[in-house]
Amino acid sequence: MSQREPAAELGLLDATMIGMGAMIGAGIFVLTGLAAEISGPAAILVFILNGVVTAFTGLCYAELASSIPKSGGGYAFVREIFDDLSSFVMGWMLWFAYMIAGALYALGFAPNFLEFLHVYGVVPPPGEVGAVTLGVLPVAIPAKVALAFVAVLLLVSVNAISTAASGSIETIFTATKVTILLVFVAFGFLSAGGGGETSFTFQNFDPLFPEGKSAFSILPAMGLTFIAFEGYDLITTVTEEVENPRENIPKAIFVSLAVTVLVYILVVTVAIGTLGAPGLADAGEAGIAAAATSFMPTGLPIIKNGGAIIVFGAIFSTITALNAVVIASSRVAFAMGREDQLPSRVGNIHHQYGTPFVAILASAVVMLLSVGLPTKSAGNMSSLFFLLSFVIVNGAVIKLRRERPDMNRPYEMPYYPVPPIMGILLNLILTSVLVEYLLRTDPLALVLSVAWILLGVVFYFLYFREPVASAADQTDATTDDAGPDATRDTTGGND
Amino acid sequence: MTQKRIVIAGGGRVGRRAANLLDDRGHDVVVIEEAPEQVGLLEEEHVATIISGDATRPSILEQAGLDRTDVLAALTQETGSNLAICMAARHLQPNLYTVMRTEYDVGDEYDEMVDDVVFTEAAGARAAVNLIERDVQTLESVAGDLDILQIQVVEGAPIAGRTLEEIALPRGSLVVSGASGDQTARSDTRLEVGKTYIVAVEPDVAHEVVNLFQG
Repeated sequence: MSQREPAAELGLLDATMIGMGAMIGAGIFVLTGLAAEISGPAAILVFILNGVVTAFTGLCYAELASSIPKSGGGYAFVREIFDDLSSFVMGWMLWFAYMIAGALYALGFAPNFLEFLHVYGVVPPPGEVGAVTLGVLPVAIPAKVALAFVAVLLLVSVNAISTAASGSIETIFTATKVTILLVFVAFGFLSAGGGGETSFTFQNFDPLFPEGKSAFSILPAMGLTFIAFEGYDLITTVTEEVENPRENIPKAIFVSLAVTVLVYILVVTVAIGTLGAPGLADAGEAGIAAAATSFMPTGLPIIKNGGAIIVFGAIFSTITALNAVVIASSRVAFAMGREDQLPSRVGNIHHQYGTPFVAILASAVVMLLSVGLPTKSAGNMSSLFFLLSFVIVNGAVIKLRRERPDMNRPYEMPYYPVPPIMGILLNLILTSVLVEYLLRTDPLALVLSVAWILLGVVFYFLYFREPVASAADQTDATTDDAGPDATRDTTGGND
Repeated sequence: MTQKRIVIAGGGRVGRRAANLLDDRGHDVVVIEEAPEQVGLLEEEHVATIISGDATRPSILEQAGLDRTDVLAALTQETGSNLAICMAARHLQPNLYTVMRTEYDVGDEYDEMVDDVVFTEAAGARAAVNLIERDVQTLESVAGDLDILQIQVVEGAPIAGRTLEEIALPRGSLVVSGASGDQTARSDTRLEVGKTYIVAVEPDVAHEVVNLFQG
């Protein structure tokens, strides 16, 4: 009989790093180029404004996580207050958001990995990144898709057979990413005035908005990149493992959000200031890496090219972010299985590996199928579902305050009800802009999103309709379970 | 078995300890407690959602979400309050399973009104006897936080039908007995559906062990 290690306790630093790890993970490397493509130099505003929008929801998460001690993230909070169908839809959407995020990170990993190989001259420059389309019968699988597929497969396997990496590993991962980004920022600013083609210059920010576009043109880019700020949901999926949670969870949420926004501002400023928005846009998912290769020193020993550090950072970040969402998606599915909102098998841990095996496998299927999507569609869909689920989380705060005024709230947000109302309004605005944008440019993503929700609703009614016949048994079973035995004895008192 | 939602009225020493044990086993716990200092202690432990207020008032009880609750346990110090809480809760939610704590041995007196009665002093007395008569100890007095559980293997549970050799339990847990507690466990002991086993668990891993045995 062999034994496994139990889960470790997480401190404030670990919890903060989990949030930052997800937010600084892949979004910054993968989505910066795409944001620049839509909104030009104003991409810098895109990330700042998204930070502001998401802060309102962050306050709601802090209040909910401090008062409801359940791991499972937004789903667990919504489950506490909404009826079965609403909470099922919430979990279903959040689960999808994470699975699609997994595909996005895998797709972001691939071109950066190719760029890495290119830096060392193994492969020719990755030319046609982002040109992959989902054919009905794909004749040849593009290298990018194949790489993304392998990455997902690898991380799913690792997570399926061993328990989640401990908080300290996540902390090291995140610290590494942030350090690499700071190196990038430092060299970017140092290149100012160097006179080179890609030296940092503020002229690249003029005009701030692309020609012929109004300030509102940044809204679709905000929608696309919103996924970069989903990190606090991840913090609240590990609530039960955090020490002194009533203080540390709100703190971890605020600190990770603040640091993340700061890092984004610095990195995007440097990327646009050196490469210029059009150059960044051309590089797509490998935007930051391309910017770095252009201004980092070359001719170094072993690593040869300074840009390789950043490219390595991009690979490392996308892989660790992928790892985080593999865990996060399985936790949402696992929580739904525990609550009997998915087949109870999904809520079981594996007899030998101690992992939520079925939940991970179920998530893997969707992730593997989605790596066939264009990167932008994956980003759009994931953002869409995070936006929608955050609307519900904001709503849950209001509903809880009204229906359970006496619930103990160790952290109460300031200026209630302004934050949740602002959260709902701003998230809905971004949702509608994103939907409108998808109607014009990416109907496939919209169709798939609607299809996923419909699939969920159909599954819900089939799954809950089917056991109606045996519902009576189930009630009996519950009652039997509830007491130590069927006879109603006085426990302990009859000696 | 899916996770249960349990409402505990009374967050004093007994209620708090019960909340901790239930949380360790992976259940969803709500505690209703009025006294601010007890609320503070509960808050620090972060094992349950807390409703601050008097559990005998229906407006407070309702905030615990009784419509999804499996069991309500009234564990305050006063028998009268506990009875009132159970009856009020039953009135609000007729199928609710109720357990009340009593200050004295009541036998089957309350059978019509509550599902189960627990006389906590009897358990306390046993613990005291265990300390006085050290040669023979009953299980209730396990020192420290180690918990000795009797767990039944449920159909469809992850470990159902497997031998101890085939499974990996989390560190901090140990299967002590074979089926139905007749002999000690060996590596070829099979975990059979419907049979009960004695398992020692540390609090950190209790919910994992319960999940393995009960799905």
